Amino acid sequence: MTFRLEIPTLETGRLRLRAPRQEDFEPFAAFFAAPRTEYIGGPLGRSDAWWGLAGTLGMWAFRGFGMWMVEEKASGAVIGRVGPWRPDGWPEPEIGWSLFEGHEGKGYATEAALEARDWAYRSAGWTTAISLIAPENAASKAVATRLGCHREGDFVHPEEGWHAEIWRHPSAAELSA
Amino acid sequence: MTTVATIPTLETERLVLRALRVEDFEPLAAFYAGPRARFIGGPMSRQQAWTKFQSFLGMWVLRGYGMFAVEEKATGLLVGRVGMQWHEQVPEPEMAWSLLDGFEGRGYAAEAALAAREDAFQRHGIDAPISLIDPANAPSLALARRLGCVREPGDFTYADGHVVEVWRHPARASAGAAA
Repeated sequence: MTFRLEIPTLETGRLRLRAPRQEDFEPFAAFFAAPRTEYIGGPLGRSDAWWGLAGTLGMWAFRGFGMWMVEEKASGAVIGRVGPWRPDGWPEPEIGWSLFEGHEGKGYATEAALEARDWAYRSAGWTTAISLIAPENAASKAVATRLGCHREGDFVHPEEGWHAEIWRHPSAAELSA
Repeated sequence: MTTVATIPTLETERLVLRALRVEDFEPLAAFYAGPRARFIGGPMSRQQAWTKFQSFLGMWVLRGYGMFAVEEKATGLLVGRVGMQWHEQVPEPEMAWSLLDGFEGRGYAAEAALAAREDAFQRHGIDAPISLIDPANAPSLALARRLGCVREPGDFTYADGHVVEVWRHPARASAGAAA
């Protein structure tokens, strides 16, 4: 018996969401080396960044959903990471997004996250979704607001003790109504 | 859908080597939290174990080979993990093994490692890989010797400062001769 790991590729107007691959490591490691990743578990050294990239793929195998790398169609550049995921200890499934340095301010995070959320509702059977956002991460909260999310409460990671705001996405039913 | 990784199932006399599944996380996390994990970067938190666990699967996509779950045929229990990995900071592909608590002393690690080593050669052309072993990990050093490995001059130091010995598996021709 052979196990096949399958990851869909999605397209939006300006972006392609595709499976991470080995060539993504340098931009991935550069992004996670930066201080601005403090809101999402960084900064990470190259070694931990490698585990992180490999781990991004593993989520797909264990959960049947996970994060894509986001590619700018026009340039082919990898500009971020987006997708549904649920690491161990998370309160419920989450839509996460990160834009790499220099690609902010173009609406890419919103465009990618909308596509990812649609896929989670359409293909992964989710009926609702949250996003966990560090209280100081104003840029990410602005994206959440554009996605129609509302603040719902707080989450403290049971093992690691970090704190995040819970932002609730419109449900699948609300969006299809 | 795009297929990004294909993980075969291998069989030995007493074991099945298969893709890791999410149900394998609890026994693996228990192992990684325990004292025997001190030789392989532990003991570690559930969160660290989860990252590691996920990355075992991701390795198959990034490198085309990776870690198998090792299951005892007779019981269906997870007894450990074995396979090839190549982390970015390590100089070359590495063969690794761990047995969960309570499954040591039955020759399972050797049986699984031989099957995984053969598969690495047959399907990926990896000949004479290394294994990185903590100098105090006596059971693992004994296994390396049983597998015909020879210690290389010079140790390897991980980014976190952990120093391990480098053991070289026999090249294909001499492995056959030793068997």
